[in-house]
Amino acid sequence: MSIVAQDVERPRVADSRRRLRVLGKRFLRRPMAVGGLLVVLAFVVVAIFAPLLAPFGVGHTDFNAVLAKPSSKHLLGTDDLGRDELSRLIWGTRASMQVGVLATLLAMVVAVPIGMLAGYYRGWVDHVIARLTDVLLAFPFLILAVGLAAILGPSLLNVTLALGIGSIPGFIRIARGETLALREADYVPAAVLNGANDATIIFRHILPNMTNTLIVQATVTIPGAILGEAILSFLNLGPQPPAVSWGTMLQEAEPYLTQAQRLAVYPGVAIILAVLAFNVLGDGLRDVLDPRTTR
Amino acid sequence: MSAEPLLEVDDLSVRFDTDEGPVQAVDRVSFALAPGEVLGIVGESGCGKSVTCMSLVRLLPETAKVSGSVRFGGADLLALGPRRLRRVRGREISYIFQEPMTSLNPVFTVGDQIGEVVRRHLDLSRRDARRRAVELLQLVRIPAPQRRVDEYPHQLSGGMRQRVMIAMALACDPKVLIADEPTTALDVTIQAGILDLMREVREKLGTAIVLVTHNLGVVADIADRVIVMYAGRKVEEAPAAELFAAPQHPYTVGLLGAIPRPGERRERLEEIPGRVPASARPLEHCVFADRCRYADETTRTQVPDLRPVRPGHLVACFHPEAERAA
Repeated sequence: MSIVAQDVERPRVADSRRRLRVLGKRFLRRPMAVGGLLVVLAFVVVAIFAPLLAPFGVGHTDFNAVLAKPSSKHLLGTDDLGRDELSRLIWGTRASMQVGVLATLLAMVVAVPIGMLAGYYRGWVDHVIARLTDVLLAFPFLILAVGLAAILGPSLLNVTLALGIGSIPGFIRIARGETLALREADYVPAAVLNGANDATIIFRHILPNMTNTLIVQATVTIPGAILGEAILSFLNLGPQPPAVSWGTMLQEAEPYLTQAQRLAVYPGVAIILAVLAFNVLGDGLRDVLDPRTTR
Repeated sequence: MSAEPLLEVDDLSVRFDTDEGPVQAVDRVSFALAPGEVLGIVGESGCGKSVTCMSLVRLLPETAKVSGSVRFGGADLLALGPRRLRRVRGREISYIFQEPMTSLNPVFTVGDQIGEVVRRHLDLSRRDARRRAVELLQLVRIPAPQRRVDEYPHQLSGGMRQRVMIAMALACDPKVLIADEPTTALDVTIQAGILDLMREVREKLGTAIVLVTHNLGVVADIADRVIVMYAGRKVEEAPAAELFAAPQHPYTVGLLGAIPRPGERRERLEEIPGRVPASARPLEHCVFADRCRYADETTRTQVPDLRPVRPGHLVACFHPEAERAA
């Protein structure tokens, strides 16, 4: 019996590993996607280990070096208050990535169950949810986020909330649409006839079948939120000093555009890189996870 | 076979109210299923056989108006609350669909899916559920069950998927297995294998089976008793052997005449003239009247009741074969 038990356990690991290996191979065949992943990972590492990587603390000022050019002490120079630009960029990475990821998670956690309820139960539930979503979608994403941020007050948390709420309608639509399609799959009545209740069907049979779509939507929403944070901060609705994000760096660089363009270039390049990397990664994931892909 | 019936369907009618008016899909159908019995329901497409089966487990959309009663284990399935209904589905009555290719969830291994059913109904641990899944795969004769249990549906052939569906249906030792055209989507050789399996299931586990099909060969192969449906009504019911030896309803006679028999040289297979009436509203005459060569005034003005021509052999016809011969 113990021999049989071993036989039973081993292939399970082998099989899921094989599937991962296939997906991994497909991913590696896409150099753009791999590049995107590497850049995203680099940003994530920087964000997580910011306290270890940043040469100076968030609020550290050096009045002997104001608007200093890059040097061995300040690798990227300093700003108008003598703050080390490299350190600010690193701390800013942390804040911006946090906003991007948390806003997206917030939107997903709220929107996916709502969208699935609408798609699964249809009828009046669907009507109410779909109409409310339409109302939210009628406001352009940024107008909505600016309005919310203005109401909530400027802080990193409120920016996250505003951008997260702003991303909800898109996720509701996607979750609803996917659910509408998946509830018609033959395995749904099959599960019903095996005694499954609605919760089991929604979360065990429908949700796992839409993870690919959700992952791809997340890789679009995260850069959207990062960009949104920059815009809100530029409008002074973002985190307040001494807190720093890419957006606040841009905003504080604006008066010095004629004297020290580099102050705007650093966060600008970071934003472009991050947004690009997430988008490229999302494209790659979409291709790799699509079951119709054979290459 | 004369034991207390396991499932008793009484006066079951199903009506769909469509934009074009009401459609009577099933019209006052009654039958009983004994423990361990294989009951075949035959008829052409659209005669109401699938709708009948789906209404037994309440799978029809809300637009369907179902009346009558389905007694099972001392309760009326048509009146059961959702919680108790879920306890019957998959536990006491299982269902196998026509489409094995799409009835399994593509993102879970077959072991997970079989395991889900037994864990829900029998409250087994993850480990025991897995052992049970392997056991069931073995029962439905899937080779190398220890390996197959971890495979995804797309790694299995159609025949194997249907075997997995059967394994899932049998997971909790149900009393009744409803199989809605279980072999239609499969190759002929695979069909034979699946039928053998179902026969074996009945013998080993004593599961009563309701087998829906339009294939009379399948019925002859495995059923004990056969119900012939036409345009939503039950037109004949008889023990399988007797039905094939002495069919009474002209429709049944026509169906049997349309089966090609190897070795028998005939110019042309006989077809039944005409078409199935669109079952828009309940007809006030024999449903088969328009296509029947024996139709007369009575046939066109009255509804024939089901009546026994021999013990256990019911027919709804004014001119059954037996009486015409006499």
